Amino acid sequence: MAPGGALVIGDVVGWLTDPAHWQSTPFDTGILGQLGAHVWFCLIALVIALVISLPLGLWIGHTGKATWLVTVANAVRALPTVGVLVLLVVIIAPNFYGRTNAGYLIPTEIVLVLLAVPPILSNAYAGVQNVSPAVRDAAFGMGMTGPQVLLRVELPNALPLIFSGFRSATLQVIATATIASYVTLGGLGRFIYDGLAQQDYPQMISGGLLVAALALAADLLLALAQRYTVSRGITGRAGRQAGSDSRVAVLNEELASETA
Amino acid sequence: MKTKLIAVAAIATTLTMGLSGCGSSSSSSSSSGSGGTIASKMIFGGPPEFKTRVDGIPGLEKNYGVTFGKYTVTDTGGPVTVNALKRGQVDAVDLFTTDPAIAANDFVILEDPKANFAAQNIVPIVSKDKATPGVRQVLNGIQSKLTTDGLGKMIGEVANAKKDPADVAKGWLTDNSLDTTGSSAKGVSLTVGSANFPENVILANIYAEALKAQGASIQTKLNIGSREKYYPALEKGSLDLFPEYTGTILTYIDKNATATSPADVYAALTKALPANLVALDQADAQDSDAVVVTKATAAKYGLKTIADLAKKG
Repeated sequence: MAPGGALVIGDVVGWLTDPAHWQSTPFDTGILGQLGAHVWFCLIALVIALVISLPLGLWIGHTGKATWLVTVANAVRALPTVGVLVLLVVIIAPNFYGRTNAGYLIPTEIVLVLLAVPPILSNAYAGVQNVSPAVRDAAFGMGMTGPQVLLRVELPNALPLIFSGFRSATLQVIATATIASYVTLGGLGRFIYDGLAQQDYPQMISGGLLVAALALAADLLLALAQRYTVSRGITGRAGRQAGSDSRVAVLNEELASETA
Repeated sequence: MKTKLIAVAAIATTLTMGLSGCGSSSSSSSSSGSGGTIASKMIFGGPPEFKTRVDGIPGLEKNYGVTFGKYTVTDTGGPVTVNALKRGQVDAVDLFTTDPAIAANDFVILEDPKANFAAQNIVPIVSKDKATPGVRQVLNGIQSKLTTDGLGKMIGEVANAKKDPADVAKGWLTDNSLDTTGSSAKGVSLTVGSANFPENVILANIYAEALKAQGASIQTKLNIGSREKYYPALEKGSLDLFPEYTGTILTYIDKNATATSPADVYAALTKALPANLVALDQADAQDSDAVVVTKATAAKYGLKTIADLAKKG
């Protein structure tokens, strides 16, 4: 393909449907292998970010203490990801010897965790904080302890916002994990980065498409998980057959009996 | 509610396990090379394009029968590659002959008796309408004095001693008595560009300073990124002068180019260039690729040339 020449969609389809591009050889890692590596990088980062920021966000929202942490976390979003990555590689990579890629994996994961923490933290905090005071007071009035209120009342009520934070973190991490390839690691970014360097633009575009497809698939999975974990009372899906709200259902029934 | 939570948790765990399985299977593909040559036990580190370039991995295989066990993409002769070789993440790498890191780390350049690597003589690419006889004379004067060693020294001053590339360029011009002021390039205005690595920036500075001293009005756009970015600008005329490397620019323009010797590459390049661009004289100075190993690796396997890598280890 000549630089600047017309790029036919068929080239991209051709690249993606070539079975040789999906299989790994000892010398070369195929699409499946890089997809696995990409998902692996993302999972590590998301699990670490979730473990750090979800309890912290819930606690901040519940107690109202240390809200400045949320501000700080949001400020972290302004860090230029590639810059931080290169800086960390320069600091960390020389400490590792031999075949290990830990010197590059650790900086990449740090960068991805930094990216995933702010949306999860601030949404968990906002979710808990926005629970109606009446609901919270009622829970305390029923004799629930602080932790009980948090886990049985505030957490379920905050779940839609927590999910939305986690979903946006997931999307960002999946898209940004392509920079792992900038520092010798694998992942789907390999195709984007190598495609550019090798002037193999179908490969480059295919890499981008694969990242987009992975992001959509992950978001779909999380949307499903959200649908089955968030209480119907919160989503307003209760009594869907009769109407959008149980009160509407009652009204409808009354109307029906009156006309009958 | 509770059963649903458990179900979701179960799905999530299976997914995680399945996916992590994928991840670990992909990372375990590093060992096991076939044949039992020295190279088959080695991991090679280099830029992405080296994997597919005619004089890259395919060339090493064709000319020397050398097949490496695995390829790790590092960077284009930069700190990542040097670090990976130094720390043993890879065993052999693609570096540039002018790289000061080779001497600094006692790395060994494996000889290339079959001329696998195409010649990479330094050549200024100029817009034809800016290449007046005066401009040509100034630039070709520089070209005749550039040497690989001299270039390596200048890169060392910028990369290790952290000197300003413009000062290093001026110093070199003075040392080679090329800094004379005159009017041979008077009335010509040129925009000089460079790629984003020290050597190319130094070269662009040398051209710019010399032309300025000869009365040309010079603008510089240094540290432009990759060739994809600057070559179109050169073609369209928003850049007028660029320090290039005969082999690389040739394969960029003509993917199927096969020339390897300096004269052949230069001849092919002058043919391949579009009508509005012209290549001035090529310098003796070369910045070509080389297969580089550590001193310890070279001693362990008795490596002198690239061909030695194909021996049984």
